Parts: sequence; structure tokens; C-alpha cells
Amino acid sequence: MLICENLSFSIDGHKLLSNIDFKIKKEKDLLITGPSGIGKTTLLSILCGLQIPTEGSIRYNDTSLYSLSENKIDEFRGKQLGIVFQSFNLINAFTIKQNLQIANTAEGSQDTDHIYDLLERVGLADKSHIKVSNLSIGEKQRVAVARAFIGQPKWIFCDEPTSSLDDKNTDIITNLIKEESLRHKASLILITHDKRVQSILNFNKILRLGEVL
Amino acid sequence: MVLGVTIITLSVLVNQITKNTFTKNNPGLDVVVGAKGSPLQLVLSSIHHIDIPTGNISYKNAKKIMKHPTIKFGVPISLGDNFQNYRIVGTDKKFLKLYDAELEIGSMWEKPMQSIIGSNVANFTQLKIDKFFVGSHGLIDTGDIHSEQPYKVVGILKKTGTILDNLIITSLDSVWNLHSNQNDILKNSDSLEVTALLLKYKNKTSVFSFPRLINKNTNMQAASPNLEISKLFKLTGEAHKIINYLSVIIVSLSFAGILFTLLNNINERKYDLAILRTLGFTRERIFSIILIEGMTISILGSFIGLILGGIVYKCIEFFSLLGRNIVTGQLDFIYEILTIWFVILIISFLTCLIPSIKVYKQNIRNTLLNS
Repeated sequence: MLICENLSFSIDGHKLLSNIDFKIKKEKDLLITGPSGIGKTTLLSILCGLQIPTEGSIRYNDTSLYSLSENKIDEFRGKQLGIVFQSFNLINAFTIKQNLQIANTAEGSQDTDHIYDLLERVGLADKSHIKVSNLSIGEKQRVAVARAFIGQPKWIFCDEPTSSLDDKNTDIITNLIKEESLRHKASLILITHDKRVQSILNFNKILRLGEVL
Repeated sequence: MVLGVTIITLSVLVNQITKNTFTKNNPGLDVVVGAKGSPLQLVLSSIHHIDIPTGNISYKNAKKIMKHPTIKFGVPISLGDNFQNYRIVGTDKKFLKLYDAELEIGSMWEKPMQSIIGSNVANFTQLKIDKFFVGSHGLIDTGDIHSEQPYKVVGILKKTGTILDNLIITSLDSVWNLHSNQNDILKNSDSLEVTALLLKYKNKTSVFSFPRLINKNTNMQAASPNLEISKLFKLTGEAHKIINYLSVIIVSLSFAGILFTLLNNINERKYDLAILRTLGFTRERIFSIILIEGMTISILGSFIGLILGGIVYKCIEFFSLLGRNIVTGQLDFIYEILTIWFVILIISFLTCLIPSIKVYKQNIRNTLLNS
């Protein structure tokens, strides 16, 4: 279970997030929505251990994330969490395969067979040798999704995964995220205000930032 | 880095091996007596067989000096010819005692124009027992040969690790035969000459009085090998210092190069490094990656420098005539080179720490946002 309690975040004296509370049970999904600039991406960064909150706590089952040392948070993120960033955050100088391999290394796995399985499922097996810089936006997003699932995480975080995609690619990426989440029995925490995504994915819970729940 | 370490290695090798060579080539001689001229030249030509002799001295006077009460041991040498640039030394059999030389095969010379050869001469000239060879006039092979009177090899010496390995030893008579008219020798033994006298004192207190005696009262000069060689090292030491300062500057520049390359690299890759953190790479792991990267450049660069320094040194030794007189097989320089290498690696480590710490302190979220 993911428990977020009394979470607040201030930047330069301005309170961006205030008293956020929610719980998500195992294999349940959460949609985080709200207007631009409300702090959705910041909240996701805090949930992933990339940004220390001003107040509050985040617990993954028995693990209180910010009670851990920074190294342990990094290790936890590598082993338990998968993140699909809005701007993909892929290493452009690497090929598709190398981007997945480095994530696999970070997670500590020596087994590379599942890399090919994942690439097969996202439809990029025949392009694994191509550098990421030479891919289309849709293909980059598929690589980002594949990379997020490489360590078989229990929690998947997606930040506007379809914001720069056309309708066709939005369908592909959204279905891919849904299928892989189900396959890995992972909880999905997704930020979007894309109605197309919301219509494809059936969220158990919706967190509307800027509104009283 | 490669250039700097190459120069340092070369400088250390040249300095150490030259010192070793000069030390080992002198078998405890206290003084050398020869014709007036440069004392250093006399020492270099008669003990180390590098320079040309200052001239000749009368054999009759040489014999008188050897009988002087302060002299415990004396041996005359006569230079003038070479075979394939290996010097032919006319002397008597006591000369071999100086170096504790033993025959590998064959026997000592018994007649004029018989010779024994050092182990390097045997290895590099293909001369063997009972083979004949003709000497070339002068101390460097000029092609002006004494074809009418060939030498015969009667013995080959065991390796001594000294200059003796590079010499062809024969009797004084042989040298006199080649350079004088036979009848003149028989008629007037007073006209016989030698190049130098190698002497040991009975008592070390003669170290000041004996050279003064020779230098003031005769037309000869007495030179102390130890004194002359230390003067030489004092002179060359300054050159070594300049070379060492130069190489330290080059190595320092290479450290700065490594530092700026790494800083530039991490600046270009800070986004990629932040991505690695999001994937679960810890600060320590990224720190290690940058440190290993920098140290790999340093270790490889300095190692290639060491090898290149060694290769350049060997080339100089191989292609120069001076190199033949160098005593190889000593490993005293290894300690100094390894110490220098160790210091370079420590400085490299400290240099590489700077970019590694910068990466360690990187804020992932800000980096990703700014990128």
C-alpha cells in the first residue's frame, strides 16, 4: 500500500502543495489531475523520492521513504518504482537496447532475456540497435514505458505520458501502460489531463489537485 | 600525460643507468695518469672508453710511476684501434684482475696479435675462438684497416656487467706492432708509448699528494676518476633538473587537461547522469563511475608514458655508440620510476575527485528540469 500523509511542499516561501493525503492499495490505480502549474509533477517527484517534501510522509508498505538515506531511496526507486517522465528522460546517445540495459543494471539484474520480451511487446524489437535520438516521439515514449517496467516494479508513475502524442500513439501508449501494469501486477499512478487517457484507463481513485477531495 | 611521463621516465632511466654504469665501470681505481689535457677526457677515455684519449705517455715513465712507493697496483693501457666500434685495448694480464674477469672459453693470449674478447663483443660481432679479424685505425670504425696484421681470437670472457664486456683485450706488444716499425721497437724501447696508466694507491692519503707530484713535475697529468665523474654529474645534473622541471610542468598540464576534460564531460552528461540517478544509481555509484573514468585515463596515459619512455631509452641505447658502453641488467631505477608513477596516480586520484564530488552533489530534479 502507498500512503501519503499530510504532504506539503514549499518553494521559495510559496506553498505549492498543502496537506495531501491519500492511500492506494496494491494493484489499484490513481489518477492525479489538475490545472497546469498546480504541482502535479512536483507531487510525482516527491512520491518517487526525487524531491524531499517540506512536511509529511510517504510510506510504501512498511517503508517510510524519506526515513531512508538518500542512497537507500535511490536503491528503492531502482528496485520498486518505474517512472515514465513527460520528457522521456532517455539517454539520447544510447541505443534503445542500451537504455534498457542500463536500467536493468541499475536495478541490479544480470538477466537480459526480459529486455527482448519487453521490446517485443512495445513493438521495438527490430529497432533495438537504433539510437534514441533517431526515434520519433511515439517511439521514444514506448522506450520510456518499456524502461519503466524493466525492473518489474510494483509502482508505476507516469507524468503526462501522452501529452505530445497524436490520437493513434495515445491509444498505443495508454494500452501499453495498462497491459504492462496488469502483467506486472503494479499499481499505476498517472498524471494527465488528457481525456483520451482517462477514457481508456479505469482509475480506482482520482486525486484532483487544486480541489477539495 | 603520455608525453610528460615519457620524459620523466626517460630522464630517470638516463640518469640512473648512467650513474650505475659509471660506478660499475670503475673497478676501484684511485687515479689515472695520461697525457696532459682534459682530466675528464682522460678518465672517460681510459676507464669508461667513451671519449678519445688526451694523447700518449712514455712507457718508460709509466713503468717508473708503477714502481712509485705510493702505488699498490698499476696497469698500462694502449688504445688506438677498434673492431666494428669495439675498442681494442693493449694492456697486460693484470688488467683482467681489475674486473675479476674469467674466461668463458679459450685461453689467455701468449703471443702478439692474439686477443680475448668481452661477452658483448662475442655476441654482437659473431667473433669466435680461432677466428681472425682486422682492427680499424682509430676508436670509431672508419674503414681504415690494418689488413696486413689480423688479430686472432684465443679466448672469450664471461659476462662481467662492466665495460670489459665491450672490449677486445690484447697485449701491449700487439698494439705496438701495429703502430710502430718492428725494428724501431727492438732498437729503441724508450720510444714505446702507452695511452694511460690505471692505478690504485697503497694508502688513500696519497689522494692529494700523488696527483700534485705528477701534475707539477712531469709532462703527464693525474686525474681522479671519482672526482672527475662527480664533476660531470654536477654539470649534467643541472640539465637533468631542467628536464625534470619541464616534465613536471607537462604532467601538471596533463592533470589540468584531465580535470577540465572530466568537468566538461560531466557538464555535457549531467542530464544523462541525473537520468541514471532516477533509474536507481546511487550517488556513490555515479561518483565511482566518474572517478574510475578519470583514473582509467590517468593509469593508461601514465602506463603508456612509462612504456614509451622505456622504448625511447632502448632505441637511444641501441642506435648510439655510447649506448654500447652502458651497463644493462640493473634494476635500481625501477624503485624511482614506480615511486614517480605512484605519486602521479595519487595526484590523478585527487584531480579526479573534483569532478566526482561535483557529480556527487548534483541535484537530480533541478538538472532534469533545467535540461
